[in-house]
Amino acid sequence: MSESLLSTKSGVESRQIASARPSHAGGKPSEPAGRDGKNRGTKSHSAKGGKQGSNVLAHCVLGIGGLAMISPLLYQIVMSLSTNAEVQSTPPTLWPGVVQWHNFADVFTSMNFGSQLWVTVAITVIRVIGQVLLCSMAGYAFARMHFRFKGLILAIVLSIIMVPSQLFLIPQYQIIQNLGWLNSIAGIVAPGIFSAFGLFLMRQFFMGLPDELEDAARLDGANPFQIFFRVMLPLAANGLWALVIITVLWSWNDLLWPLVVTSTANAAPLSVGLSNLQGEHANNYPILMAASLMAMAPILIMFLLMQKRVMAGIGRSGLK
Amino acid sequence: MNHNVTRRSFLSFAAAGAAVVSLAACGGNSAAGGSAAKAAYAAPAKDLSAELSYAIWDAAQKPAMQKIVAEFNKQYPNIKVTIDVTPSKGSAYWTKIQTQASSNTLPDVFWMNGPHIKLYAQNNQLMPLDGLVSGKAVDTANYPKALVDLYTVNGAFYGVPKDFDTSALFYNKALFKEAGVSEPTSNWTWDDVKSAGAKLSKFYQGKGVYGYAGDLTGGQTSYYNTMIEAGGTVISTDGKKSGYDSAGSIAGLQFWRDLIASGVSPSMQQLTDTASSDMFTSRKLAMTMDGSWTVGPAQKALGDDLGIVSLPKGPKSNQSVIHGLANVIPANAKNPAAAQAFVAFLGTQDAAKIQAETGTVIPAFNGTQYAWVKSVPSVELSVFLELAKDASPYPASVNTAAWNELENTLLPQAFAGTKPVADVAKDLASQMNAALAKES
Amino acid sequence: MKAQTLTPASKSGRAAQAAGDRRRGKSKSDGWWPWLFVVPTVAGIGVFYLWPIVQTFYYSFTKWGVFGGTKFIGLDNYVRMFADSTIPQSIVNTLIYTVVVLLGIPIAVILASLIERPGLRFATLYRTLYFIPYITMPAAVGIVWRLIYNGDFGPINWFLGLFRIQGPYWTSTPGFALLAVATVGLWMSLGFNLIIISAGLREIPRELFEAAEMDGASRVRQFFSITVPLLTPSIFFVTIVTVISGFQLFDLLYVMMGKANLAMPQTQSLVYIFYNQAFLQNDKGYAAAIGILILVIIALLTAFQFRVQKRWVNYV
Repeated sequence: MSESLLSTKSGVESRQIASARPSHAGGKPSEPAGRDGKNRGTKSHSAKGGKQGSNVLAHCVLGIGGLAMISPLLYQIVMSLSTNAEVQSTPPTLWPGVVQWHNFADVFTSMNFGSQLWVTVAITVIRVIGQVLLCSMAGYAFARMHFRFKGLILAIVLSIIMVPSQLFLIPQYQIIQNLGWLNSIAGIVAPGIFSAFGLFLMRQFFMGLPDELEDAARLDGANPFQIFFRVMLPLAANGLWALVIITVLWSWNDLLWPLVVTSTANAAPLSVGLSNLQGEHANNYPILMAASLMAMAPILIMFLLMQKRVMAGIGRSGLK
Repeated sequence: MNHNVTRRSFLSFAAAGAAVVSLAACGGNSAAGGSAAKAAYAAPAKDLSAELSYAIWDAAQKPAMQKIVAEFNKQYPNIKVTIDVTPSKGSAYWTKIQTQASSNTLPDVFWMNGPHIKLYAQNNQLMPLDGLVSGKAVDTANYPKALVDLYTVNGAFYGVPKDFDTSALFYNKALFKEAGVSEPTSNWTWDDVKSAGAKLSKFYQGKGVYGYAGDLTGGQTSYYNTMIEAGGTVISTDGKKSGYDSAGSIAGLQFWRDLIASGVSPSMQQLTDTASSDMFTSRKLAMTMDGSWTVGPAQKALGDDLGIVSLPKGPKSNQSVIHGLANVIPANAKNPAAAQAFVAFLGTQDAAKIQAETGTVIPAFNGTQYAWVKSVPSVELSVFLELAKDASPYPASVNTAAWNELENTLLPQAFAGTKPVADVAKDLASQMNAALAKES
Repeated sequence: MKAQTLTPASKSGRAAQAAGDRRRGKSKSDGWWPWLFVVPTVAGIGVFYLWPIVQTFYYSFTKWGVFGGTKFIGLDNYVRMFADSTIPQSIVNTLIYTVVVLLGIPIAVILASLIERPGLRFATLYRTLYFIPYITMPAAVGIVWRLIYNGDFGPINWFLGLFRIQGPYWTSTPGFALLAVATVGLWMSLGFNLIIISAGLREIPRELFEAAEMDGASRVRQFFSITVPLLTPSIFFVTIVTVISGFQLFDLLYVMMGKANLAMPQTQSLVYIFYNQAFLQNDKGYAAAIGILILVIIALLTAFQFRVQKRWVNYV
């Protein structure tokens, strides 16, 4: 059963790719932001014409579809509160006879939830900080500076976005082992601090920024570092948000890599703990459901609190 | 339970970890820790001072292991043993062990299982323990022969058996009673199981309850046993040739296909969806073939409705596959004298008795298993011990994972009836032989 | 611009001049500054991503020993790969999977045009509902779907049973398993497609719709002659993303299928075979050859898509 627990970075990679719009797709990526601004200023067609009153049909379609979309999660919540017999009963249990809250408490005795949550938060924070810093710097240089082999290096970096993450696994493992970083946060975090996708995303954002402020700062005698950190980086806040969101999602859910580089339960993140739990309690569905809800909860809560920003970030990442 | 996990995890993650790590091991240490170990072992002085690390994977057994260490320290007060549990069972454990093997930092003593022993022994990762035998510190006659054979590679003895497991016939008394079918006995044959199973499946038709099934997603508690019972083999004793194309093996596989075809057993698809052990504990299965490690969970789910008898007799025998763990020492042991003293103690009757008290595993030392048998009074657990007497060793080669994967890919087609059993078995044999040829 | 050049003393004039200087300078180089910015990332990517690809290429010509150590065997792995019948089958599987997940794009276009309708209430709620699957943990959601698809007690077969339909064992019956996995793929990606397409939709100038309305075009007509053509850049983007991630299909198979699954040959992807060979069968040389095949296919597909996009993508 254990293999069923192993999920991988690949889904995550594809999410990463998913947010990187290939440069040609955007049409004219280097086009100045003025045009963007104009479009944003233009009222979309949706802002007008409430006159057609056929919204009932729209509500029906969207409502039924939306319910269908979250029904697996609703089902998961019901299962997490049921007994194992109820999960496996026919017809399916729509609501447990007696709500089994203890399933959630049992999770704490079955896996090292606390320490694994800490590891997950730590690796996510480090990866986010690392990617925000490194990718924005490199993205800035690729967008707005000139240097030899720029085109060639960029092409090579971009091609990496398409490669399935499984292909990197063995060599990456060897590197981490040689560094003596197995079973450590450094080992889990190391490859994921560098991101070809993040570089590309930030490059796209920096290309859309106007020249004027940069020029003014240069005139005031600022060096490129100062220009970048004081002037350009704040302007790229929207892009950074997109990067943060995507990195958090990927890091939180990442499984195959931490599974391979960690071997003690205390050094592993939640994704690994969850998959190990599946290996040990393959037949105990309620506790698996409760544990996976708990593992997803922080991300879901964060999303609900910041959903406008998240969706705007993702939406923008696809636009330019 | 630990054995179950060992077996399964070997098939999945552990192999992955093993694979990853093996890459880094460029050559490894080619010189076996040999010559010293071949000489007869003499117990070191009682005041020997050393620190040993002992790697295990089952947290539930840690208390028993700690007790054993305490007993050991009565003899060797200055040998400090640190128990390192690497949880999440086999997967993480083997990843870690393989990592350590490739960087020559293996623990001083650690748990070994059947699928891995040849891989480690043949690649000179382990210290031969023949010295312990010739030095009379360990007597191999104290353990089931199949286990001793399992841990004897190329004539050298590498692991002192720790515990074992065999498979038996589990049944649900209540389901038999309701259907008016007489309960199984230890003298049953395949035909008895088939006819009783047919009656049960017919009685419960439409209720989702079946007469008989085994876990066909792996061989240990299903087709490995029936293949042997029909006179076949999984792999030749030298581990070089597949036995899948023999008439007996084909008959052993056909047994399960027939059960599915006649509706006695749930279909292959059904067994992939819901494991047979789950169906049994949720009272959807009247009889199942399962391992000794599932006695605990089954008893918990069924209570007094649980019955266990010996395996039904096939054309040749009612043999079960036996598997068990052993304690091993790495070839380049930092402190061979202390490690050997500890392993010798782990193999004693006293240590085995302490294990039996935990009730989760059957200790390997002959005669100490009685305590385990008593742990569930409502069931006759001694059948597992009877079965161990003439059990067949767990089939393994050097790269066991490679052909385990072939079994998983090919056999479902035979069980589901999409291809004739004999064709699949022959195909599997030839592909397995190709995989085995690559080992050398 | 003209006004600026006419006021030479002004600050903006100087700025303009400086900008001009910089642009001229740009054509050469920014000296060593850019390297300070790119070296950490490029070096990291080189070590952790580029080097592994180079190694994979080398490994594809080797045979691995059990505990390590490689032996050069030339093209043997590739010869074996071309004779391996599971490879073409897995490519077909991947194509079927991708086609099913691509169905999510027209669905997303329709949903987005409904959500972005004038003054629609609960629009944010709808967006949230559709987006949530995208942020769930695949390892966690995989078990839920396994239960949902369970042939004996899963809700889908219960529902079908209400209409006296005997549902199959979804994840273990050849044919159905791929469909089941692809449906989950569609479910997970729909929210993402929806957000991208919604964003694209909001970029379409409303004047176009107003003009069309004055010409008396129906809403359906507007949808096909304005919305869809002007959305082609967004559609192209989500298409290429779907195709690339389709070829990376792995985790859903791993989480949902289980071992010894009858349906695996008709469901597994190339990446799954790669993983199986590298990590379950300890045959890393052969796995590396499959890895190279994956790289070649993805590169060809992407190149193909960029070539054909010129025929159907409209850039405003």
